[in-house]
Amino acid sequence: MKRVLIVDDAAFMRMAIRKMLEKDNFDIVGEAENGLQAIMKYKECNPDVVTMDITMPEMDGLTALVAIIQYDPNAKVIMLSAMGQEVMVRDAIIRGAKTFVVKPFKEDHIIKTINKVLAL
Amino acid sequence: MADILMQDELFEVEDTQKGKYLTFNIGTEFYGIEIKYVTEIIGIQVITEVPELPEYIRGIINLRGKIIPVMDVRLRFKKTFREYNDRTCIIVVDIKDISVGLIVDSVSEVLNIPERDIVEPPQMNRGFNNRYIKKIGKVGNDVKLLLNCEKLLTEDEIVDINEAL
Amino acid sequence: MSDQYTNEPMLDIYIFETIHLIEQLEETVLNGEKSGGYSSEAINEIFRIMHTIKGSSAMMLFSEISNLAHVIEDLFFFLREEKPTNLDYSTLTDLVFESVDFIKLEIEKIKNGDKADGAAASIVDQLKVYIHQLKNSNTDISEDKPTEQETTKTQYYISQSFSDILNYKHYYKAEIFFEDGCEMENIRAYTIIHNLKNITSKIKHIPTDIIENDGTIQQIREQGFVIYFKANQTFNEMHEFFMKSLFLKDLELTELQDDESWPADNAVQVEISSNIIKGIIPLNQKIKSESNNENQGPTTQGFISVPVGRMDKLMDLVGEMVIAEAMVTQNPDLKELNLDNFSKAARQLRKITSEVQDMVMSIRMVPLSSTFHKMHRIVRDMNKKLNKEVQLEIIGEETEVDKSIIEHISDPLMHLVRNSIDHGIESVEDRRSNGKNELGRVTLEAKNAGNDVVILIKDDGKGLSKDKILEKAKQNGLLHKSENEMSDKEIFNLIFIPGFSTNDAVTEFSGRGVGMDVVVKNIEKVGGSVSVDSVMGFGTTITMKIPLTLAIVDGMNISVGRSCYTIPTIAIKQSFRPKETDIIRDPHGNEMIMVRGVCYPILRLHKLYKVKDAQVHFHKGILVMVENEGKTVCIFADELLGEQQVVVKTLPTYIKRIKKIEGLSGCTLLGDGSISLILDAAGLTNINKQ
Repeated sequence: MKRVLIVDDAAFMRMAIRKMLEKDNFDIVGEAENGLQAIMKYKECNPDVVTMDITMPEMDGLTALVAIIQYDPNAKVIMLSAMGQEVMVRDAIIRGAKTFVVKPFKEDHIIKTINKVLAL
Repeated sequence: MADILMQDELFEVEDTQKGKYLTFNIGTEFYGIEIKYVTEIIGIQVITEVPELPEYIRGIINLRGKIIPVMDVRLRFKKTFREYNDRTCIIVVDIKDISVGLIVDSVSEVLNIPERDIVEPPQMNRGFNNRYIKKIGKVGNDVKLLLNCEKLLTEDEIVDINEAL
Repeated sequence: MSDQYTNEPMLDIYIFETIHLIEQLEETVLNGEKSGGYSSEAINEIFRIMHTIKGSSAMMLFSEISNLAHVIEDLFFFLREEKPTNLDYSTLTDLVFESVDFIKLEIEKIKNGDKADGAAASIVDQLKVYIHQLKNSNTDISEDKPTEQETTKTQYYISQSFSDILNYKHYYKAEIFFEDGCEMENIRAYTIIHNLKNITSKIKHIPTDIIENDGTIQQIREQGFVIYFKANQTFNEMHEFFMKSLFLKDLELTELQDDESWPADNAVQVEISSNIIKGIIPLNQKIKSESNNENQGPTTQGFISVPVGRMDKLMDLVGEMVIAEAMVTQNPDLKELNLDNFSKAARQLRKITSEVQDMVMSIRMVPLSSTFHKMHRIVRDMNKKLNKEVQLEIIGEETEVDKSIIEHISDPLMHLVRNSIDHGIESVEDRRSNGKNELGRVTLEAKNAGNDVVILIKDDGKGLSKDKILEKAKQNGLLHKSENEMSDKEIFNLIFIPGFSTNDAVTEFSGRGVGMDVVVKNIEKVGGSVSVDSVMGFGTTITMKIPLTLAIVDGMNISVGRSCYTIPTIAIKQSFRPKETDIIRDPHGNEMIMVRGVCYPILRLHKLYKVKDAQVHFHKGILVMVENEGKTVCIFADELLGEQQVVVKTLPTYIKRIKKIEGLSGCTLLGDGSISLILDAAGLTNINKQ
């Protein structure tokens, strides 16, 4: 079972993603609501893939991404972005994010993306 | 032929409660209440009186931690009060999310009264208190007065309260 | 709403979180306005909140909310990036609040199961105009500032001269179409280019300005993304490379023959004649992860949110448990038995039961702070509309009350604060001419007082005019007593009588036909009370007394005939067996008793509630003196049965619908399973007055 870490400051988003993924038999090993927590959870759970929100309090997703990639260069991080965040998404790609999903997304969309990233 | 039978069976499975009535009596009259409203039947309980209510609401009872009001149907129909005995029953009904216990002289049985045996109540005798009677069911030679439960709980409350005051 | 979210918890958490975020935002905005400008943290926070609401609402398909949140997000993005000067914070705040109100209203509809059918278009337009104006008046800033894109562009593109040194073996052209609806096609394209750079430095793509120009999204959607590149990898290797890209719908990879068709720098449409190996591969990805059905629970979080219904159920169950515990440990079968070990165990059980009860109660307790802080918004709006200057001071916001009570005091509080500002605080000119501080002050204060919480709404305005109140009361026929006989407090409290309103001018805020009587009714609903005190020229204080919780009260059980009643212990002053000689009867047959020189009215419960077989002789029964709001009455009952904590249950809906029974606030189950009716001190003391 593939292990996923969900990072998003909105409890609603975390729940939405969790519901979608659990239906498809992913194992949600952790949730984090800001970048700092994300780094800690990553080290703690060592997930197969991370869904990473960009805009978060305390520490944003880009900063957390850099720290996670530093810790584990093979980390598979998928950015969750919204329209209007093109520049940040590009930066995330440059810094090692595998791909990104644009909110709002559909269930099959995110599942497919995660599976693709896992297959890389 | 076989097909028709099958269909009948199917219909019954779909709606097992349809056409079923719990019958009870008050004095010499037999009444029927749609089984879908009935949650349980219990013997007479200790009733805690609640002041300032119409006479037919005898008070409240403790039904396994749930507090529900009890209504004496006899008094609701403006008949004379009769002391409760071991034949007296409380039919607990749930109507539009409101639980109420109906005190009746005795409960007889659950009957299946098909649609074709149910007729409109006679309109002529105004003296008869039939505003709570929805339909009349014929079972053999007997007649069952089918109750309009919702009316039982709502109709003419205002009037009744004023009478009680 | 989309089918995938119709399940309740998603909607609940959406509503919960959005309301919470909106409240947080309101406070930030108010603080910003108060301090004369938004700090960069505040701007950032508002941006983030709107970003989150935009995302969540879009997921739930509440597009109007999402659109509106998007525009505000844009606005605050602009504020964050450009830091414009000369901002009119007041207009900005108005716009934000107008938007917030829209969102609140829609959320309220959603909460009530209605359709979120409001249209945000007019607010969105206003916001867009505002942003446009801001941008125009700040053009100098945005033009002077080098854009990030430009700097990064040079940073990541490898120079032509460097790549020329390398000699690649193969030359390819790739035409790519992304899946419909995958969004941000330009960034998807960029991702491919970014990855391609690991292989080669000789890349050219059409369109070229994929990051900088949003218009390229449409172009890529319609015409595809075309890459010319050179590499040492074989066709198959390159094919595999592209296939790894996500959201690929079509890939047309061709190997070109020679160098000649390398597109010119400003080429947009280049047609290359080529004899080629073609491979059009429609992608059909249906990869399912193999997995077992093992499902790990959610990881622990600092907080969990629980549906209120479950809390109520838990509370009920604990109530039952308390009763069951009493039924076991005080079981009559155990009487006269010497059971040391049992007693010890029973004591332990009792201790734990009471701890569980306390814990459940504490979980239900919520601080008043968010209710109090909501009032900032009201003060602000009213200041603006009424042209007054009023400051709100909050004391004791950390005071906690039961969740079910909080819901009932928010509206009354709002009404009272509005009243204070509208009718209480004078205009700036009046205050100045009266030698008062121009800045009016409204104070909200909460404090614990035994089993109650007291909330004070104080203002330093003009105070209530006794003459005016009396005049008004007389006009409306509300005066039943001679003016001279009335104490100040009694006169002031006339304002709570239905049909009374001191202000002739009906303003937008107060006096919408609802008066103070509604406030009183709402507070009485939760077993509280309201009183008022005022000093002419110095201000008015309204005191709301509300119980900490409605769920459990200490009560004294009394019997009347075969019935049992419970009086909240807090209301009982004393109980005593009266002597027939102390009883005074007036010509109307009203009975009173003299205690230490004071005369108190007597209320015979058996008479009031027509209880049969009750004690009628005073010397054989007992009097319980009950006080509420300075009014005292002596209740005559047969005997005291003892004190105990009782779990308050409301009377059945059916009964409440028929009649509100004066003096009864609910009922409770006693240890033996019988029912006791809970008497309500406020109601009883008032019955006697009538």
